[in-house]
Amino acid sequence: MPEITVDARGMACPGPISALTRAYRNAQNGDLIIVLATDPGFEPDVKAWVERTKNELVELAKVDGNVIKAVIKVTAKK
Amino acid sequence: MERVVIIGGGGGGAILANLLPEEFKVTVVDKSEVHFFQPGNLWIAFKGVRKEKFLRPLRSLLKPRVEFVHDEVVSVDLNERVVKTASGKSLSYDYVVFASGAELDYGSVPGHRELLERFGDFYSTPENAEKLHASLRGLKEGRFVIGIADPVYKCPPGPHKAAFLSWEFFARRGLSDKVKVVLAVPVPHAYPSKTIADIIEPELNSRGIELHTFFTVNEVDVANKRIVSLEGEELSFDVAAVVPPHRGPSYAVNPAEVKDGSGYIKIDKYTSRVEGFDDAYAIGDCTNAPTSKSGVTAHLQAEVVAARLQGIDARYSGRTNCPLITDGKGLFVISDYDHPPIPVRLSKFKRLMEDFFVATYWSAVRSPELWSPIFRAYFEATDEFIRRGEGW
Ligand SMILES: Cc1cc2nc3c(=O)[nH]c(=O)nc-3n(C[C@H](O)[C@H](O)[C@H](O)COP(=O)(O)OP(=O)(O)OC[C@H]3O[C@@H](n4cnc5c(N)ncnc54)[C@H](O)[C@@H]3O)c2cc1C
Repeated sequence: MPEITVDARGMACPGPISALTRAYRNAQNGDLIIVLATDPGFEPDVKAWVERTKNELVELAKVDGNVIKAVIKVTAKK
Repeated sequence: MERVVIIGGGGGGAILANLLPEEFKVTVVDKSEVHFFQPGNLWIAFKGVRKEKFLRPLRSLLKPRVEFVHDEVVSVDLNERVVKTASGKSLSYDYVVFASGAELDYGSVPGHRELLERFGDFYSTPENAEKLHASLRGLKEGRFVIGIADPVYKCPPGPHKAAFLSWEFFARRGLSDKVKVVLAVPVPHAYPSKTIADIIEPELNSRGIELHTFFTVNEVDVANKRIVSLEGEELSFDVAAVVPPHRGPSYAVNPAEVKDGSGYIKIDKYTSRVEGFDDAYAIGDCTNAPTSKSGVTAHLQAEVVAARLQGIDARYSGRTNCPLITDGKGLFVISDYDHPPIPVRLSKFKRLMEDFFVATYWSAVRSPELWSPIFRAYFEATDEFIRRGEGW
């Protein structure tokens, strides 16, 4: 399963979501997008994004202290 | 005499050329003979202002000592120190500065070019802004949709200004009940910064401007008048204008690694120096600096590069100062690399300040040395608020 990693650490809101959007444009169904972010706003934003786009949130966790890691399985691309 | 070649005489390039003292032999290469004030597109599109107000021959904006070459750059070799042009000229330099702005890509979103040709837009050229004005005059009922095709674009408040100004345009004509203004943004809130979104959203609501979040334009179907988003939603329109994806320079640069994945020139965000070279700089919209693509950034980076070429260790803080106006009021989105945009108040005074900046534009480009102290005082005074995270 192809993995796309987006390193958005250090980016302020809405940098991580914008980076996810840009990665999503090039992704295909079945791909995994992994986003690493430090902005606390990313957590609610990514939940809302997944709900809106109807993709699958496989994992949302804090790693290494303040880094938020979101793993999204792309399932909703037309 | 050290030779400086500046690629592009837009906001950043022209100011830099004029700031460099006589000790330098400065050449500006631009494929266009006219310089246009890009924010003017909004006034042309929504207020019907004549485009000539925002156009000047580039030569007339440059100091006589600056050489102007009207030509298109086709390649830059940073190892050989040479800039090549479409007409076959080779310009050697001691320093090169990329200031060629962002390129607008109407080809990557299906149907986008057709949309532009049909209705014009408030973004690309004064001619397209005139066309949009005509399209809006013809719209007596229905939906005017403003969309965005990629989260990275110049002047982040531009689409919002367009929403407020178009709402005003229809309200003045007594059409507010008949024409719906729709603003669709790629981000989770009304504006990229949540702080600014919280101020703007009630203003959009109170005017009945329809807001769609998480809507990144992915396809335009002009025949059936609908726009489809990357996130999987659809909007119908009668007239629409979409901000296109942007990219860095399309001309070749050797080594190619100085461009990032979107073609932007990779620079040190403080000094504007091109990664890996000490005789190459890039300023304004053509760089990958993690700040808003705006005229203010181009201007402040031009000042930094002018100082550095004269041996002064100047640095750019990432300061932005983007005006966001409603029909009657305004605010400035101010931030820097270390601080997100601060909460601010919409006021009539700031709306007037935007008019002031517009009125001073030509003089500020032609004689930056006269205006720099005034702008510097303004930036220093307002930097205080950024550091304290306080409203202004
Ligand atoms: C609708 C709108 C509203 C805006 N409002 C604001 C605002 O209120 N405040 C603000 O600060 N900013 C605003 N901006 C953004 C601002 O206009 C730009 O950020 C600014 O012009 C960037 O300056 P620049 O010098 O990097 O590039 P540009 O001003 O775009 O200049 C680039 C120059 O390079 C030349 N060029 C390009 N390629 C080549 C080539 N291959 N060979 C030779 N020449 C070349 C072009 O002809 C052009 O003259 C707005 C932009 C738009 C579209």
